[in-house]
Amino acid sequence: MEQLETFIVESPDAVGAKTTRSLIMDTIADLSLSRVIGRLRVFVDPVEPVFIFAALLRLGTPSIKLKDFAKVDMGSLGKDEIKIEIDKEAFTVKLLNKLWARYGKENIEQPDKKVLIVKTDPIKELDAMRELVIEEPQQEVLDRLIDAIALRIIPEGFRVRKHELSMSHVLFVASEDTLKPEWLAKGKDMLESLRREENA
Amino acid sequence: MLEPIMYVGGVYKHNHLVELVEDLGGYILQKNVMQTEVVLLMLVPINDIAIVEAKAKELLGKLTRAPLTGSEIATVAPTLAYHHLPHLDCDVAEFLRKQGAKTNMVGLARGVGKRICQLTAYERDLINEHDVAVFILGNYEHCIIEKSKRLYEGIEIPVVVTGAPELRTEDVPNATAYVGNFGRILHHMRHSEELRTLDKLAEVIGKVLDDVRKEIAKDPPSIAPPRIKKEIEEQVQEIIDSLHPLPITLQLNGARVKLPYEEFHEMLENIRFVEGVTMKEVAQVLPSKMRNFILIKPRPKSETGFVI
Repeated sequence: MEQLETFIVESPDAVGAKTTRSLIMDTIADLSLSRVIGRLRVFVDPVEPVFIFAALLRLGTPSIKLKDFAKVDMGSLGKDEIKIEIDKEAFTVKLLNKLWARYGKENIEQPDKKVLIVKTDPIKELDAMRELVIEEPQQEVLDRLIDAIALRIIPEGFRVRKHELSMSHVLFVASEDTLKPEWLAKGKDMLESLRREENA
Repeated sequence: MLEPIMYVGGVYKHNHLVELVEDLGGYILQKNVMQTEVVLLMLVPINDIAIVEAKAKELLGKLTRAPLTGSEIATVAPTLAYHHLPHLDCDVAEFLRKQGAKTNMVGLARGVGKRICQLTAYERDLINEHDVAVFILGNYEHCIIEKSKRLYEGIEIPVVVTGAPELRTEDVPNATAYVGNFGRILHHMRHSEELRTLDKLAEVIGKVLDDVRKEIAKDPPSIAPPRIKKEIEEQVQEIIDSLHPLPITLQLNGARVKLPYEEFHEMLENIRFVEGVTMKEVAQVLPSKMRNFILIKPRPKSETGFVI
């Protein structure tokens, strides 16, 4: 899939639309969101005033758990310990930080580069440890996306806001005054038109 | 009347030019030596410019008029949020600084929105202490016009407005000048087109400042601000230890002295000039809105009856 297949900024003010477009481009580049946003439509009317931002998202990999990149087993016989054999070293630092926070530094040994021994009760902890979430790329991306839209793109004076956020889309309607139902409906329409384009 | 001029040339013998300007009754405001090159910002009496030009030619240096020299400019952003900083506002402030002005950045507390924007009394007074205020506004024509109707209330100094659309100054209410092609830009302004826009802004501000100078010349101050600077530097030892950028900041019609008001205002008031007058006879020493600094405002000739 291409990045930003649709990128439309509509406004009765042509110059404003052009500069808004360039500022959205800058923000997306700054926060490296270009691979995240698939299709994007913005409508601005400064006279009303209203700012609508609708986008379809491509969030990529879901959260990474310990069992996805390591073998988690009982340790040596008769000892209260869990042995973790890591396949992908890329996550070791994050894993260690999580383990230290949870079990304490003194309870974790690393006899080999790819082997970790955690001193804890294996019967109670084994399953929980397999499900331990090491990285949440989607959540991080969503945080950056909210930073981009709410704190950088939407004009600052537009303090009244309504938003919808899911793993597949984001919709922001913002204004200086009370939001009108027709703006919300327009936002929904814009999102629908993006979805139609996506499915076509 | 003194003309603001910038000299760019070699370091060799540049002191000849410095001495010539001082002998003519002008002032050297800033001297930057960069390896073998020197940049001088100076004020030269308007009638003696030909002599300085001849000297500059002899030294193979270049003289250009730098109308922003010796002015203090406020660059005002609606807030200090990411919407306006660090790009654009800092770019504008830095560019004007390179042209010889001292810029202060002001972020308003409640400057956002076209209907809800407002200026607090403190902000208004602070901005009024400068020579020119540059308001850096956004992308939409309607918003710029609506906002301009109320945001500059109570500002007595010239207001230069920047924004994205190309508007005529007459269309922007309460503005002294308007410069287009800016808008809310979230990247460093470095393309040739953008640099031309910044050049245009400097040119417009230069014109505005020239008008202010002409206005001041109609009833000249009893003492020229650079003279105030020179005397304070010679007579007040503490200013040398001040770590503030430009401890004495020149304005077109005054000077800001970065020393605590309570401790130093009497000392400054009693500074004696060779002409036999003291500072308080020719200027008012006032507390500044900026921190606890001192603001010196020369009294006009019409009040004192003499010029030193």
